[in-house]
Amino acid sequence: MTPYTGPWTSAQAAHLLRRCTFGATFTDIQAAVQNGLNTTLSTLFTSSIIDQPLAFDPAEQIVAQGQTWINAVYPTDNAANQQTEGARMKSLGAWIAKNLNQESLSLNEKMLFFWQNHFGVTASGDARAMYQYLNLLRQHALGNVKQLVKDVSIDPCMLVFLNGSTNSVFSPNENYARELLELFTVGKGVQLAAGDYSTFTEQDVAAGAKIFTGYVVQGVRSATQTQVTSQYLPLLHDNTNKTLSYHFANQTISAGGATEYATYIDVIFNQADTASYICRKLYRYFVNAEITTWVEQNIISDMTQTFISSNFDIAPVLNELLSSAHFYDLSVRGAIIRSPFETLCAMLNTSSTSANFDLQSTYQIYLSMYGLADQMGQGYLAPPSVAGWTAYYQAPAFYRLWINSTYIKKRFDVVNILTSNNYNVNGNIFKIKVLDFLNGLSMPSSAPQVVDDLCVVLFPKDIPVADKLAIKAVLTGGLPDFEWTLQYNEYLNAPTNPIFYAPVELRMQAVLNIMFKMPQFHVC
Amino acid sequence: MKRRSFLKNGALASLSLPFVQNGFSMQAIAKQLFDVPKSAEDKVLILIRMNGGNDGLNMVFPRDQYAEMLVQRSNILVPESAILPLTLEVGLHPKMTGLQTLFSEGKLSVIQNVGYPEPNRSHFRSMDIWSTGALDINQTSGWLGRYFDGAYPNFPDAYPNVDFPDPFAISMGSEVSSTCQGLMGNFSHAVSDPFNNSNLLLTSVTNDGTYYGGQIEYISTLINQTNEYGQQITSAASAGNTLSNLYDPLNPIAVQLKYIAQMISGGLQTKVYIINVGGFDTHDAQVDQNDVKEGVHANLLKRISDAVRAFQHDLQLLGLEQRVAGITFSEFGRQIASNGSLGTDHGDAAPLLLFGACISSGIVGANPQIPNQVNNQAGVPMVIDFRDIYASILKDWFEVDLQVIQGLFEQNITYYDLLQGCTNSISENDAAQLQKPLVFPNPSLGQHQLKFFSNNEYLEIFLIDQNGKVLQKSFEGQLNAGPHHLTFEIQYLNAGRYHYLLKSATRQELVSFQKL
Repeated sequence: MTPYTGPWTSAQAAHLLRRCTFGATFTDIQAAVQNGLNTTLSTLFTSSIIDQPLAFDPAEQIVAQGQTWINAVYPTDNAANQQTEGARMKSLGAWIAKNLNQESLSLNEKMLFFWQNHFGVTASGDARAMYQYLNLLRQHALGNVKQLVKDVSIDPCMLVFLNGSTNSVFSPNENYARELLELFTVGKGVQLAAGDYSTFTEQDVAAGAKIFTGYVVQGVRSATQTQVTSQYLPLLHDNTNKTLSYHFANQTISAGGATEYATYIDVIFNQADTASYICRKLYRYFVNAEITTWVEQNIISDMTQTFISSNFDIAPVLNELLSSAHFYDLSVRGAIIRSPFETLCAMLNTSSTSANFDLQSTYQIYLSMYGLADQMGQGYLAPPSVAGWTAYYQAPAFYRLWINSTYIKKRFDVVNILTSNNYNVNGNIFKIKVLDFLNGLSMPSSAPQVVDDLCVVLFPKDIPVADKLAIKAVLTGGLPDFEWTLQYNEYLNAPTNPIFYAPVELRMQAVLNIMFKMPQFHVC
Repeated sequence: MKRRSFLKNGALASLSLPFVQNGFSMQAIAKQLFDVPKSAEDKVLILIRMNGGNDGLNMVFPRDQYAEMLVQRSNILVPESAILPLTLEVGLHPKMTGLQTLFSEGKLSVIQNVGYPEPNRSHFRSMDIWSTGALDINQTSGWLGRYFDGAYPNFPDAYPNVDFPDPFAISMGSEVSSTCQGLMGNFSHAVSDPFNNSNLLLTSVTNDGTYYGGQIEYISTLINQTNEYGQQITSAASAGNTLSNLYDPLNPIAVQLKYIAQMISGGLQTKVYIINVGGFDTHDAQVDQNDVKEGVHANLLKRISDAVRAFQHDLQLLGLEQRVAGITFSEFGRQIASNGSLGTDHGDAAPLLLFGACISSGIVGANPQIPNQVNNQAGVPMVIDFRDIYASILKDWFEVDLQVIQGLFEQNITYYDLLQGCTNSISENDAAQLQKPLVFPNPSLGQHQLKFFSNNEYLEIFLIDQNGKVLQKSFEGQLNAGPHHLTFEIQYLNAGRYHYLLKSATRQELVSFQKL
């Protein structure tokens, strides 16, 4: 793939950070310009350390508030058991929103969501199991995909979600075997004949169901077990040899007990279709929805080769893509419509706004953030189907499916909430820290420069001068620019005096309220 | 509505014959046509999407093959005595009492074994096929989207406008429907609550010709449309009414259908409403292990049945029955044999349900043939191609020109008689005179109804065999003006084709039926 060798300015640096994180500050962008592409990329590939989710909801009945529940049993009493699960799911949802909001400058969260979308697992039954599952995805997020698929295949959450836990020699269940091929690995091709999808056939689905037999899940919401585990029971496994279709050269997977599935996954990864299928999804996630013939021949094929020769490590593939000339081509800049969480976090993370109140209030606020993203169409723990969110696969609309008449209204509601002083949780006001945002810009006392800098942070491309003037007029209240300079300097002299900071804050809130509602903010 | 497009769609041509027969002057008819907007352009279609793959064999039961069903799916099969009979051969799930009632009122059709050649058991590919109405993998526009693209050019940029102030389609909830995906935009407008439409900031952007330009232009157009359509929808919903007390507020499908009734009665000119119902992917626990009549699938079927019954009742009270029809669909049926986890895996063909006062057939197609030996992975084979059903709906309901319809589909279309139960009525009174008699269900076995309109006349009805021999006089008497339903026993007849002759001082009309 041709590497990028062009200029490295805030335009390119901001593009890279917008695509790899949930929102970078003006300072982050300037640092990336200083550090150059390669150093910035190695920062992005550094893993970050995440705290554990904590109990905060009074319905939790086992662990104390402020303690983690991830290794705690559940109450014996049925009602108490259910209430505790509800409390833990709330904690988990809040924790997810918190991680997205407080991410470090790393690809971690972005890739974690890539896999959450890829496998499409909906949380079912036990918050501890869902936590473990997300941890598994996080652990491999920038690692080896073949190992990830093997581990996911027998993860308790997946076993429950796609009926693996009831798949036995006595009653084979095809659900996981089908989605593994169709959605997780080789992908579905053109239908050649009844039951033949050019990358696999119904025979492979039936064989796969048998291969995966024998695993059960134990400890769901258990009052004695501190973890949910998957266990292999030889009696439930189908001990025949399984013959695959001609797409897999009629190979036979010999009866192999507990590790038979891993042999099968090795066979699946030997198909070039698996590598190219996953690379196309990566391309859609990081670059553009449309895969033209040119892209297929020049980008996807190179990604596929790199992926195969790295034995399915994902970092080399991403590194090559994110430093390629194509990635920085103006034609693909701003081509992606931001997902709900990307939109929400772009409003918060660009100003380093986070909730840092007492445990209760902080978790309640993050739980609301989780809920707002859900209402905008992205319930993180509940993808609409096992294929993930339609925005990543449904042609020809793709990302446009994130925005329709219902969702756009919700997006605007969220803008109104976050750019006001009205969001009050237990006496704590949660709002965008517009003054910090302003003070982090290159020359906050200059109205035109404030607008220019905000455009660099919030929009993928420069906007017309007339639009900038309109935004500036909101900032200055229609007065001459020097009035803004005076106002800002007065605030600097007395930063804690509401007489001086309140008008500045109000102007900035009004500006962000407008800019967040511009179509240009909703793309990246 | 645009006169021009009304004339173009051939409604006049298909109406010309009855005019002559009834001796109306063409001029009077033309005036009535344009004064009273009850043309094809006022027809409304409801699509109910059953997402996940609906187990057709647990919804419509081949009663004549209960023994074979028992071989295939003994762990989930509802008891024979609990099945709700529609005919001697066909029955409904015990929870679908509402739809059983509609069937007895002649407002429900069951279309059997609907699918497509070379079935695909991927949820996603198969739903794409059903949404696009095409097997071609390169087809990305929806079947309704293609129809709308042809009828309303330059969407979305040119809409809404004075002639078309309302959304062409409304998808209830928060997602647009891929059935309405057009070339440049999706014709469906997502509405979760017709009473709640806030005003959004208007924007204008310049498309720089890149992907970016296309995206921001899309968002800008959508924001502006949301404002304009939002106002139309809210004012229609506020002006509208709903009269039935059968809607269950806890049934989300009923709530959405009630909203739809409200919008239609308020004068919204939207042609298609889409409802999405999830949860049909019943790989396990499809039925309750303690009572196979209960469970996840039973609850879904009950919700749909109850909601449609309430909606139809409402339409009747609102006087809107002749304008609205609805159909269900799902990406596939499920396998004939159940699995060991009280569920069923992905299969092939399944029945569709068509509802409305204007349906013109009862059971369309024969029962599926259930083998008496379990063949792993076997699904119900396709007999009727769903694309033909779509085409027939466009023909019967929206009166789209046949050449236009053929242009929307890749297969050579076979049309089915689905929604011809109401004439393309001019007004309620004229409709009564123009209404053709109808036998329902047809073909039929045990008993059936003869539906017809009377114009205050002394009427005799004769049963005639296919050689023209009068077998008996089935009815004789004075009838008031208006619609009439007579039920006749025909079990004793040999299989074959028969006619009823309706004879009075002012008319002689024949209506045919098939005895199975």
